[in-house]
Amino acid sequence: MAETLLDIAMMHSDNLIARAREGDKNAQGRLVQLWYKRIYNFSFKFFFDHDLAMEVSQKTFISMHKNIAALQEISRFKSWLYTIAVNYCREETRKKKSNRSYSLSELNPGEAEESYRWEESLHRNENPERQLRHTELSDLLQQCLMQLGQEQREVVIMKEYEGLKFREIAEALNISENTVKSRMYYGLDALKKIFEQKNITQESIGYGI
Amino acid sequence: MEYKPDESMLMAYLYGELNETEKQKLENYFELHPEELAKLKSLSDTRRVLLHVRDKEVIAPPVFVDEPGTVPLWRSSYVRFAVGMAASILFVLVAGKLLGPEINYSQGELRISFGKKPETVQPNKLTEQKVNELIEASLAKNNEQQATVRTEEQKKWMQSVTDFNSKKINALAITASQASKDQVQAFVSGLQQENLKLIKDYLQLSSADQKNYMENLLADFSGYLQEQRKQDLQFVQAKMNYLEKDNNQFKQETEQLLTGLISKPVKNNY
Repeated sequence: MAETLLDIAMMHSDNLIARAREGDKNAQGRLVQLWYKRIYNFSFKFFFDHDLAMEVSQKTFISMHKNIAALQEISRFKSWLYTIAVNYCREETRKKKSNRSYSLSELNPGEAEESYRWEESLHRNENPERQLRHTELSDLLQQCLMQLGQEQREVVIMKEYEGLKFREIAEALNISENTVKSRMYYGLDALKKIFEQKNITQESIGYGI
Repeated sequence: MEYKPDESMLMAYLYGELNETEKQKLENYFELHPEELAKLKSLSDTRRVLLHVRDKEVIAPPVFVDEPGTVPLWRSSYVRFAVGMAASILFVLVAGKLLGPEINYSQGELRISFGKKPETVQPNKLTEQKVNELIEASLAKNNEQQATVRTEEQKKWMQSVTDFNSKKINALAITASQASKDQVQAFVSGLQQENLKLIKDYLQLSSADQKNYMENLLADFSGYLQEQRKQDLQFVQAKMNYLEKDNNQFKQETEQLLTGLISKPVKNNY
């Protein structure tokens, strides 16, 4: 995955985290700007729901603002932030199970041109037909991801899309590194079977796009 | 014992998180077991497919930073507390000036008062006996007043009655004492004549009424007799007419019979 300026800034944000920890509100605001997209996308891939992802993102950064003074090691900021996000994701999942309500996007996914996804897409200036196929494929793969169990899904998203090391994932989820790797293995294996069922291969994707 | 990597080792190799020694060891294993390498390659292909899930663009919400020290001095808690205390003391001083406070401490009692010193009022304890006494005294006073008023009213009334009767009796006595014997006789004769006249008039009026009544009665009776006679005559006349009619009818029948008897023997002869 190509690193953007934002990614580079995130990787070299130790000074920013240190200032935020000392109560610098500007530094805290800058951290929100740097990490909001990552936490939102983590939450979105976890729920495949924009509203829930926004809810979790906002709660995560409010919690960060309140508790960053208690962060002991600056190097653990990333895993600490994902710990907060994962906990809110689990909380929202519990609420969702008890409420049994569905969002509109959940009930009618795939209306790519009419949905907010089209409006917010980074690639909206591309060929519309190509963009539509990309969006459809992304939604299809997201649906496959949603078929995984919660524990495997957490690990797969953190590893594949958020680029955390196994050690960082283990810290974030408060489990052993071996358990993380084991969940990752079985998560990938389960996804491979789901893709086979849906006849999704690298070749078919390349042909479609 | 043959080396066999577990899932953790395979994942660490797949994501490049193995050290060189372990990596070499695993690659040697794959040379001996190509099926394991193929399996790992299929997982790697799955990863490549997963990379087609795109990130969503999102705008981070604005963060409002409140800089410490930007709070104005007059809004700081110390200043507000001090101003509050000063205002309270000032209020008490002004109130004290206006109301004239007086603070006394005597017999273990602290007394704070404003304005005039309150007079000590003995507590008025009312007992049942006192209340009964008060009620009885009030009732006795009331009864006394009522009796006084009643006797005064009675006296007034008696006085007025006796005054009125004595006046009347005096007037009669005066009239009677002033009248002579002749006047009394004249008065009596006058009364007699007046009575006589009244009786006479009454009798005259009653006899005239009786006469009129008798006349009317007689006239009515004669009228009745006349009417009765007229009706009787009409009845007799009607009866007479009826008899006459019967008689004529009888005569005709007799004639017819006679005519029949006369004509019958002639027919037998022939």
